[in-house]
Amino acid sequence: MDGAKVTVGRTAGLYAGAAVLRLALFTLFPGLPDLLTGRVEISTPVTSFKRLQEGLFLYNHNVSPYDGGVYHQAPLLLPLFSLLPSFSTLPILTYLLYIAVDLLSAGALLKIADSGEAGSSALFTSPRREKRWSGFIVAAVFLFNPFTIATCIGRSTSVFTTCAILHAIAKAVAGAPFSAMVALSFATYLSLYPLLLLPPLLLLCYDRRPPSSQKQPLLNFALSHIAVVLAVLSALLQMSYLMTGCSWEFLPSTYGVQLTLSDLTPNIGLWWYFFIEMFDSFRSFFLAVFWLHLSSYVGGLTLRIRRQPLVVLTLLLGIFAIFKPYPSISDASLFLAMVPLYRHLFPLMRYTFVIAAVIMYTTFLGPAFYHLWIYAGSGNANFFYAITLVWGLGLSLLVCDLTFAVLRDEWEVERPEMVGKEIRQI
Amino acid sequence: MPSPAISFAALLRGTRVRSYANRLPLFTRLVLVAIVVFWVLGLVPVLDLRNWGALVPDLVGITTLYRLNTFPFIHLNLFHAVMNILALIPLLERFEAEYGTLTSLALFFGPFATLPAFIYLFIEKFVLRANTSVMGASIWVFLLLGIEAIRTYKMNPYLVVGTHNIPTWTTPIALLLCVAALVPSSSFLGHLSGLAVGYFCGLGYLKYLAPPEKALRFVESKLNLLGRLPHYVSLDQKTYGRFGVLPTSGSPPPRSSGVALGMVGSSQRLGPSQNDWLHSMSSSGVLRIRRDPRLLKLPPYLSLLCIVVGVVWLFLLPLDDYSRRTYISENALLPGQVHTYFGGSDQNVFRAYKHETGGLVGKSNIEINDGLETIVKSIGLKTSRQNFTYQSAGRVYSGENLYAILQAPRGDATEAIVLVAAWENVKGEHNRNGIPLILTLARYFKRWSLWSKDIIFLVTPDSIAGPQAWVDAYHDAHDSSRVDSLPLKSGALQGAIALDYAQEGRFESVHIVYDGVNGQLPNLDLINSVNSIAGGQMGMGVSIQEMWHHNDQYPDRLRTMLRGMLKQGLGLASGPHSSFIPYHVDAVTLQPFGIGWQDEMAMGRVVEGTFRSLNNLLEHLHQSFFFYLLMQRERFVSIGTYLPSAMLVAANFTIMAIALWVKSGQPVQNAKKEPEQDGSDGNPSTPAVERDLFLPLGVVTLCQFLAVVPLYLFNHATESMLTPTFTIFAVLNTLLPFALSQYLTQYHAPTTQQYQLIKSFSLLLLGMFLSSLATLNFSLALIIGLLAAPLTFMRPFPTSPAARFLCASLLNAVSPTAALLIATAVWRGLDVSTILRGAAFAWDVCGMYTPVVVWCVWWPAWMAGSLVVLGRPEERKVKTL
Repeated sequence: MDGAKVTVGRTAGLYAGAAVLRLALFTLFPGLPDLLTGRVEISTPVTSFKRLQEGLFLYNHNVSPYDGGVYHQAPLLLPLFSLLPSFSTLPILTYLLYIAVDLLSAGALLKIADSGEAGSSALFTSPRREKRWSGFIVAAVFLFNPFTIATCIGRSTSVFTTCAILHAIAKAVAGAPFSAMVALSFATYLSLYPLLLLPPLLLLCYDRRPPSSQKQPLLNFALSHIAVVLAVLSALLQMSYLMTGCSWEFLPSTYGVQLTLSDLTPNIGLWWYFFIEMFDSFRSFFLAVFWLHLSSYVGGLTLRIRRQPLVVLTLLLGIFAIFKPYPSISDASLFLAMVPLYRHLFPLMRYTFVIAAVIMYTTFLGPAFYHLWIYAGSGNANFFYAITLVWGLGLSLLVCDLTFAVLRDEWEVERPEMVGKEIRQI
Repeated sequence: MPSPAISFAALLRGTRVRSYANRLPLFTRLVLVAIVVFWVLGLVPVLDLRNWGALVPDLVGITTLYRLNTFPFIHLNLFHAVMNILALIPLLERFEAEYGTLTSLALFFGPFATLPAFIYLFIEKFVLRANTSVMGASIWVFLLLGIEAIRTYKMNPYLVVGTHNIPTWTTPIALLLCVAALVPSSSFLGHLSGLAVGYFCGLGYLKYLAPPEKALRFVESKLNLLGRLPHYVSLDQKTYGRFGVLPTSGSPPPRSSGVALGMVGSSQRLGPSQNDWLHSMSSSGVLRIRRDPRLLKLPPYLSLLCIVVGVVWLFLLPLDDYSRRTYISENALLPGQVHTYFGGSDQNVFRAYKHETGGLVGKSNIEINDGLETIVKSIGLKTSRQNFTYQSAGRVYSGENLYAILQAPRGDATEAIVLVAAWENVKGEHNRNGIPLILTLARYFKRWSLWSKDIIFLVTPDSIAGPQAWVDAYHDAHDSSRVDSLPLKSGALQGAIALDYAQEGRFESVHIVYDGVNGQLPNLDLINSVNSIAGGQMGMGVSIQEMWHHNDQYPDRLRTMLRGMLKQGLGLASGPHSSFIPYHVDAVTLQPFGIGWQDEMAMGRVVEGTFRSLNNLLEHLHQSFFFYLLMQRERFVSIGTYLPSAMLVAANFTIMAIALWVKSGQPVQNAKKEPEQDGSDGNPSTPAVERDLFLPLGVVTLCQFLAVVPLYLFNHATESMLTPTFTIFAVLNTLLPFALSQYLTQYHAPTTQQYQLIKSFSLLLLGMFLSSLATLNFSLALIIGLLAAPLTFMRPFPTSPAARFLCASLLNAVSPTAALLIATAVWRGLDVSTILRGAAFAWDVCGMYTPVVVWCVWWPAWMAGSLVVLGRPEERKVKTL
């Protein structure tokens, strides 16, 4: 398992197995996709497939999809999905699209893992890097993670964002910074928050830049690639503008919903409960605070762990999975996909069992308490929110433990005599 | 405050306690004995020791001055005595070691008792003009603390916390305030007087109080006290001295380090025990507790304790202290407040309808419905019908429901209540009085204009499939291929009453059936209302859980509760009402029983009263409890009281799982490498071994996936195949662990660590599922938890085949298949195919998930447990990290 040679055949077998499993779940359990799409842990107002269908219907009937106040996703998804035949007549093609996106994400993850960036970046080499998992195992963990499978079956549109982010990182690692920026722009266009991944991604691109631009100083590099991002974003926004009948009204309905949290459907995040019970006069203040909190981690982590930008990206994805406005288990599955890249740091982590137990427990208790609240009528929102808080706690534990392991690893390079010793924290 | 902590830390290591107790000097021993003797005497009520010896300001006079000396020895109760002993002994021991036994005796029987007492009496009597009595040795504790504080202040003036310097002599004051706040019956003034005297003495004025040394020395040498009395501390300490020659006031360089522990690093006089405590409370000490191998012996006992406490908890619930009387929470219900007018000429109508419906007995479902429909249409209600066809275990359950809607004349048709009567009840008897009663009530209700909700009258051919089909279709949650949609609907259902009146003749009591599918219960207010109306207003008896006689004593209460739990755990539909409950529509079934003088009109009045109460509701019943256990018609416990029982049983699995995880990470004892204890810079290392996770994860996942097989088999086998399938499965179930274990040992040779991990993961999953299930269906979680409890204690027996087979047979006796067989043995009327057929029917029709829990939660854990028991681990080289 330590970087063993994996043949193309084995990888193809893995992909085939994952695809077969998803297809089997789609076809053998006809009620399952709709059941999962209806669950709040999988579908949020900005990623729900049902809302996409609503928007698609309006779009196909020449009505602005944002008129209904139900559809909050990016406009360019609509032409993509209208290319496919109608879902009610031939659902299989939609399923195949989602399976393909999952496999593409897995492919990107494979490239990230196989590049060895996690073990040794341009500025730092971990003494433990021998003990890492090959890309095959990392991709397998991602593809067979129940969260990923549930997201795929539930047809949440966050799979596209996941694919874009993973491709951005893969391209950065492969030394193609331009493609990385393009992919990140797509991700930002689809969901707003990947823009916060720009600083560490820039550093990753810079560290892994191709030989042709070796001599470029960091500032010039950064500016040119930020310009790329802005250009691609404006191109995409312009296309959306043209597509939705030459109006900018889609902006408040897509990015505005994320920024102002106008849809308060329960989800597994922290925001909805706060904002449901908030007085209007404080709303903008708290929105600013919450967004500021989310963005505050970017600067600190990027500066502190400058030497391993991939770690920063992983940790930020974990933080986003907890603190973004409309999280779902797809964000958690993306974070959990990046964590196995750091297999060599697992022995340094102190709370693996607790984290695994907490995440497992909340995964089962969450739907139980949601059922008690909504269907049995004998619980209330506090039950469900408490369990989502524990879920957030488990993920936070994982983020903090991984940070500890990364910092300890860096520190042990300076202080090799402390390997294996218990440290006292102040 | 270090002193009590010394004794506590010493308690942690038993040998030190014994050596410490052996070294207690004489006066300390005498005081200890005196306190104990006085406590024992205080147990005798005749002597009334506390009144005799306590310091009561009003009772202190010339003749009762002895109280000034006796009050420190007398305590309120055992707890008081023990706490004071624990606090006093170390301080007193040190005082005596320094000043000598004779001095201490003189001081403590003299000034140290009387001075604080005088101060207290003065303030209490003349300033506060109160009469609070005090007793107990804590006055001496504070006195000695005062002395200690001043001495510590001299050596180490300031306690450095962050940037603030706190003078150390204030520590007893802080303790005084804490004790005053936290201990309810402590006397602040008494402690304060003791402390004041202590400060006074500590500041050096003790020499004015102490008896002259020359006199004491004279007495000591004359009586040769040192030679005669054991543990006597002499005045000059040259011949005693535990620590050799002690400096009384010298100050070695303090070893403070600027952190909060600085105060305690004062002098050698504190002794080795103090330093050890210091050291143990540093971070390496906590680590030492963590690495202590004895710690890992604890979890199995902890698990056993959890299981025992969980079971005992349950048996405590029927007691008066833990259960509550029921009460109506929703004030809008006002049960039993209306005068019910059903009766009179309706009796004739009832008899007519009974004659007509009696003529329909034996006919086909369609004909019955035709006949009933004519009657209902003649009343003037809109009727409609619905077909349904369910297939389960090879049988077809089909039929046609008939229902009619009475629209409220002044209502807005947004809400409805339902009156259900099934043609055949759950036992298969014809509902001979229930059907005519529902028709009579329909005719009667139509005449009233006070209904705010629509009333739906539903007649179903059977008690479970029919109502389930109707309710599913009403909420558009039905399977269109099997169940027709309803052509006619009304508003949201607020409540439902089902009538099961198969008995002929007059009855005495009403039996309320309230269990729903999957153990969900209706709101307690509905049962309370029916109880209030039938039992209170109408004067009938009310019973629950088929307890035909209930004398409200503990055995009957316990039996009711256990029956309720069994029904809830099985999760079967127990009447027409069960199908309504999952849709958050509160429903009960009423069954008249017994021989009495209540007739059908009385039953009708009960229904009328209940409907009048339901009519008052503005919203669904939500005030009262949804999770409760009824032990008598008017006694219940709510979820907050009974849930810890199931949670403890589920927690025991989690505790074992965590313990096994930690154990699997520790190096095996005989292959231990030298752990580096306390490296030169004080940082110990923790040798850990790498865990091989792949095999345990694979085994546990395999067991979980295998669970689909019995689930699918028993839900889809046809009726005739059920018994043979079950027999084959039971036999395979016994053999499969052996085969799998053999395969594992031969091809994978798992180590002890891997078996520990298998058990850890399977118990973790079990604990997780059961804790989640306990919130939904408490009884099922408890039953499965108790039946799976032996799994906590299973482990491989590599050296003893006898133990291995014994444990394996024990596990087979508590396997799911064995549980089914035992159930057939206990309830004679059932056999395996009936049970399985019922389970398959409930799964197909009602959506009961008990089979899922049994086969997908319990059985995989059982399988993993059996594999662990049959395992023969061998030791391999494990890699350390």
